[in-house]
Amino acid sequence: MNEVEFLQWVKGPAFSIALFIFVAGLVLRLFEILSLGRKVNYAVPKGDPMQGGLREIFRRFGTDKATFQRSMLTIVAGYVFHIGLFVVIFLLAAHVEVFKSVFGFGWPHLSTPVVDAFAVITMLALVVLLIHRLQHPVKRFLSSPGDYVAWVVTFVPLLTGYMAYHHLLLSPQMMLGLHILSVEVLLIVFPFTKLMHTFTVFLSRWYNGASMGLRGVKS
Amino acid sequence: MITQDTDFKQALDKLGLVQQRRVGAAFVRNVLALNPAVTKAVDAAANEDTTADELAVAFKQAKAAALDSHTRCGSDSDWQAQAGYFVARAATALVAPDKQAKSPAWEAAVNARMARTCGHIDASDESMHEESEAQYRLLEQFLNDI
Amino acid sequence: MSTLTLERGINAFKAQIDAPMASFFSSCVSCGMCAEACLFYTENPEPRFTPIYKLEPLRRVWEQEYTLIGKLKAKLGLSKPVTDAELAEWQELVYNNCSLCGRCTLICPVGNDITYMIRKMREGMVASGHAPEGLIGASTRAVQIGSPMGVKLPALQAQVRHLEKSSGLEVPFDKEGAEYLLMLSSMEIMNYPEYLGAVAKILTNAGKTWTLSSECFEATNSGIQIGSSDIARELVSRVVAAAEKLKVKTVISPECGHAYTALRWDGPNLIGRPYTFAAKHIVEVLDELRAEGLLQTEGFEESKLTFHDPCQLVRRGGVVEQPRNLLNMVAKNFVEMADHGTLNWCCGAGGGVSANEDAEEVKMKAFQRKKKQLDELHVDTLVTACANCRIQLEEGMEVNQMDIPVLGLTEMIAEHLVERKGGAA
Repeated sequence: MNEVEFLQWVKGPAFSIALFIFVAGLVLRLFEILSLGRKVNYAVPKGDPMQGGLREIFRRFGTDKATFQRSMLTIVAGYVFHIGLFVVIFLLAAHVEVFKSVFGFGWPHLSTPVVDAFAVITMLALVVLLIHRLQHPVKRFLSSPGDYVAWVVTFVPLLTGYMAYHHLLLSPQMMLGLHILSVEVLLIVFPFTKLMHTFTVFLSRWYNGASMGLRGVKS
Repeated sequence: MITQDTDFKQALDKLGLVQQRRVGAAFVRNVLALNPAVTKAVDAAANEDTTADELAVAFKQAKAAALDSHTRCGSDSDWQAQAGYFVARAATALVAPDKQAKSPAWEAAVNARMARTCGHIDASDESMHEESEAQYRLLEQFLNDI
Repeated sequence: MSTLTLERGINAFKAQIDAPMASFFSSCVSCGMCAEACLFYTENPEPRFTPIYKLEPLRRVWEQEYTLIGKLKAKLGLSKPVTDAELAEWQELVYNNCSLCGRCTLICPVGNDITYMIRKMREGMVASGHAPEGLIGASTRAVQIGSPMGVKLPALQAQVRHLEKSSGLEVPFDKEGAEYLLMLSSMEIMNYPEYLGAVAKILTNAGKTWTLSSECFEATNSGIQIGSSDIARELVSRVVAAAEKLKVKTVISPECGHAYTALRWDGPNLIGRPYTFAAKHIVEVLDELRAEGLLQTEGFEESKLTFHDPCQLVRRGGVVEQPRNLLNMVAKNFVEMADHGTLNWCCGAGGGVSANEDAEEVKMKAFQRKKKQLDELHVDTLVTACANCRIQLEEGMEVNQMDIPVLGLTEMIAEHLVERKGGAA
C-alpha cells in the first residue's frame, strides 16, 4: 500500500470501523452500567436529589482552597490539559470539517496557529502529568497499565497532528495518515479504558449529588 | 436535717469553692475503694492549702484515671470497672480548675452515687439511695464543723 | 450465621454492585486526590491507605462479572480472581483505616461516592469471614443483649432513678402517644449519663411529651459498622417496632453520628418501607425548639471555643447549621476551624474504628489531623455532639498532652437553660 492508498484507507473504511466500534462501545459500556439499576430509597428526603445531582455536576469542577493546595499540580495541569484538548479537538478548522461530515453541521473555529499553540501547551501538560504520575507515591501506586495506555493513545494524536501541521519527520501525507490512524486507535480503545470518564463523570457526579441532595447536604 | 436533693444541692452551692472541694472529697472518699488510683487527687481537694498548681497536677491525674477506666466503645461492659470510671470522674470534678469548676461538690456527689450503683447495677433496688443518704449525713457534719 | 467463605464473600460483592458503583469504578482516573482528603492517609502517608485502593478487590469483581472487557481479561488471564488471602490483607484497609467519614466522597473530582462503596464492600468482608473481632463481638452483643456493650435495661433504669432523684424530673418509660421517643447509645449510658438528664430537662421545660422504651433503648447499629445488612436490619427493626408500638411522632437519635445514619438514612431501606414516624437527631430537635421559641437560654460561655463536626451528622447527615445556631445562643467567642462544616475532618474513631482493637495505633495517628486543626486555632474549649467523637478527642488530647476540655452540646445548652413559665416541672 502506498502513501495515497494508506491515507484513503484511514480516511475511509478504517474511520467508519473505528467510529462504529466507538459508538457501539459507548452504548455497551453505558448499558453495562445502567442495567445494574439502583434500589429505591425509602428514606424521607431532606432536600431535593435532582437539584443535588445537578449541583454536583457543576460544583465538582471547582474545589475548596485547602484541597486545591494539597493537589495543586494535578488540578492545574489537569485543567490545562483538558481545556487544551477541547480546543484542539473541537475548534480546529480541519476538525470542524470532519465533524461536519459526520453530523451534518459544524461551528466556528479558531485560527490554526492559535490552536497549534494550544496543542503544544496540551502536550506539555500531559508530559508534566506523566512525570507526576511516575513520581508521586500515591499516583504511581494506583497506576495500572490502563492508565499508561490511556496516556499514550491521547498523546500520540496530539503529537502526530502537530507533526503533520509542521511537516516534521515524514511526508505531510504520511504524517496525516498516521495522525488519523492514531485517532482511530483512540476511538477504539476509548470505551474500554478510564477515558470513559468523559461521559461517566456526569453520571457519577449525579449519583453522588443525588445522595447529597437527599440528605440535605450543601457544601 | 437534709432529706432531699433540692436542699442538698442548695446547701452545697452556698459553699465557696474551697469548702466544696473539702466536702466533695468526703463524698468521694466514701467510694474511694472502688478506684484508689485517684487517692492523691482527692487528698489535694480535701486540703484547703492546696495551691492552684498542685490542683492542676491533680486534675491531670484524675482525667487520666477517668480515661483509663472508661469502657471502650463497642466492648463488653464491665460495671465493676465502670465504677472506677465514675470515681475518677468524681475526683476530676473535684479538682477542676476554678474557671471550669461549676459545682464540684454536687458533681462529685452524683458521680460517687453512680460509682456505688455500678456494684449492683444488674439488680438495682432501693438500696441505691443509701449513698445519697450517706452524703446528706456527711454534708450535715461538715456544715456543723465549720 | 452460616459458614463464612470466600465464595459467599464474592457473591455478596456481586449482589452489592449497582449502577452507581459501576459508574464510579468507570470514572476513576487514578488522580490520587482522594488520598489527600483522607485523614488515615494524610497522617500516615502509605499509598495503600488511598481510599479508592481500599476497594480494589471489589473493583476486580465488578470488572470481571459485569463488563465485557473484564470478562475477556479474566479469560485471557490478564485479570486474576480475588483470593481469600487478598481479602484477609484488605481487612486492615477496609476497617482499621476507614471511619466512613465521607471526605473522599466529597472531594473526588469525578464524583465517586467511595464511602458508599466501602460500606457495601464490608458486606462481602463479613460474609467471607474477614471482619475485625471487636466488631463481631459488638454485633453479637447487640443482637443477643440489645446493646453492643452489653448494657441491659436494669442499668438504664438505675441511671433513670438517680436522675429522677437528683433533678426532680420525671423520666417516663413506655408512654404511649408521646410526641418523642428518645433513643440512647450505650456509650452515653455508660460514660456520659448526664446526657439523659440534659435532654430530660430541655424537653420537659419545652412542654413536650416524651418517653423511653423499655423494649429498645439502643440507637447505635453495629450491623452498619461491621457491614452486615442482616444484623443492621434486625437492630433497626427493634427501634421501629418500639416506635410504632408507642405510636410516637418522632424518634430522637442521640448524640452519636452513626446511630443517626443508621436510623435516618439506612433504616427505611433495611426494612424495605418508609417509617410511620419522623427520625431526627437530638441537635435537630433542639434547633427546632429554639426556632419555636421553646428553648431559651441565659448567660454565655466565657471561653474561646470551637465545634468539631461529627461526620455522620454534618457531612453525611445535612445537619450543618443547627449546631451552630445552638452554640451561638450560649457562646460569644465561637471560632470555626479552617476546614469546618461539611469540610471538617473526622476525629478518627467512627465507622467501627473505635470498637476495633486492631486499629488502636492508626486511630491515634489519625487524631493528629484534628490536633493540627486545633493547634492553628488556640481555643480553650472544644464542643461536639457525638459521644464516640468525645472519647476519641479526649484520648487524643491526653496522649498529646493537650489541655482542651471537650464538652457535649446538649449538656451545654441544658446548663444555660431558662425555665419556662408553664413548662412542666
